[in-house]
Amino acid sequence: MDNPKHFCLEIITPTKQFYTGPAKALILPAVDGQMGVYANHEPVVTAIEPGQLYYQVDEEWEHVVVGAGFAEIKPDCAILLVSTAERPEEIDFNRAQEAKKRAEERLRQKQSIHEYYHSKAALARAMARLKTRK
Amino acid sequence: MASMKEIRNHMKSVEQTLKITNAMYLISSANLRKARQQLNDVEPYFEKIESTISDILYHSPEIEHVFFDKRPEVPAEKRTTGFIVVTGDKGLAGAYNHNVIKLAEQKMKQCANVKLFVVGQAGRTYFQEHGMEIDTEFLYTAQNPTVTRSRDIGELMLDRFLEGSLDEVYLIFTKMMDSFHMETLCHKLLPLDPKVFKKYQEDTHYRQHVSYVPSTKAVMNRLVPGYVKGDIFGALVESYCSEQNSRMTAMKSSSDNARDMLQSLRLSYNRARQAAITQEITEVVGGAQAAQ
Repeated sequence: MDNPKHFCLEIITPTKQFYTGPAKALILPAVDGQMGVYANHEPVVTAIEPGQLYYQVDEEWEHVVVGAGFAEIKPDCAILLVSTAERPEEIDFNRAQEAKKRAEERLRQKQSIHEYYHSKAALARAMARLKTRK
Repeated sequence: MASMKEIRNHMKSVEQTLKITNAMYLISSANLRKARQQLNDVEPYFEKIESTISDILYHSPEIEHVFFDKRPEVPAEKRTTGFIVVTGDKGLAGAYNHNVIKLAEQKMKQCANVKLFVVGQAGRTYFQEHGMEIDTEFLYTAQNPTVTRSRDIGELMLDRFLEGSLDEVYLIFTKMMDSFHMETLCHKLLPLDPKVFKKYQEDTHYRQHVSYVPSTKAVMNRLVPGYVKGDIFGALVESYCSEQNSRMTAMKSSSDNARDMLQSLRLSYNRARQAAITQEITEVVGGAQAAQ
């Protein structure tokens, strides 16, 4: 990295390499709240919750909605492995709303513990999407 | 020399078979294109997840977590080993299914107690026919791998591992090295073993201790299921791609063989026809001479 204030950011999902390139700052949804990252951060490994993620490239803040995953942060780079990543303009508001309703409905019924977690995760994903589109 | 009718029947049957193998060739080459696209998309994730995990393990060797527990207290004859064997749903794919099954049998011999989880119909039928016990509830197809399917498989394995009915889990699948070369691999899935991972980035310029936010346990609880899911998904995609590729190669060579066979049959058919015509002429001429 030429600029010492920049670090290399990689956001990777099972279906595509979402973003690979330099970034100035990163805010990610960690388990216990949002977490900010600048270059020369201490080495950290953390889990990512479904939610909103921001990264700064050339003074512009980019906005992404991510699914669950984890991040490995090193002084010169940050690697994010998440299940999904979408830009706000890719999100279908109606679909997310439908998904939210479906998840809520499922949560009201008796289900196995796995199904319960799946529904919870689906609800969290839908909520993150809806939040971005509002 | 075989009679003309016999040769004609033979040619017809070869033509029918050629039609089938050619259609299968076309289908599998179309599927392969799709599978390869998916493989290209998945491969960076698959590689990154492996290198990240190995990097994390490398920098924090003293992790104590339930997923890293090798259970040395369980004696060798009581250990239960689970194998996820990824085969195709159908045969006629060259040595693809055979190679996977051979490796699985070889690995199973080394273990005291074995539990088999077979993906794909071809492997399931084989193991059932040979009287080996397989998990009958475990019904997953090898076609069009999805993240949801790998998540379900991963959760099942983690559950079994945590409740203690499995002490080790291995994943047997086929990896595409390049378009002509495939390799059947056995990969240790659980418990996580730092030795299994190749050493990526030996000369990383930071050797500090890695911290885990909020705690090692919380991070590992998230990271390991994610890793297992990603690993299984990668294996399914690799295997599907390999299956299509070996079927395409097998069908291409059988179509070529059928064409060669048709050519030689056509030659003998023409010879037989010519012989019959010559004989007829001889008979006619002989008859005419006798009548004079």
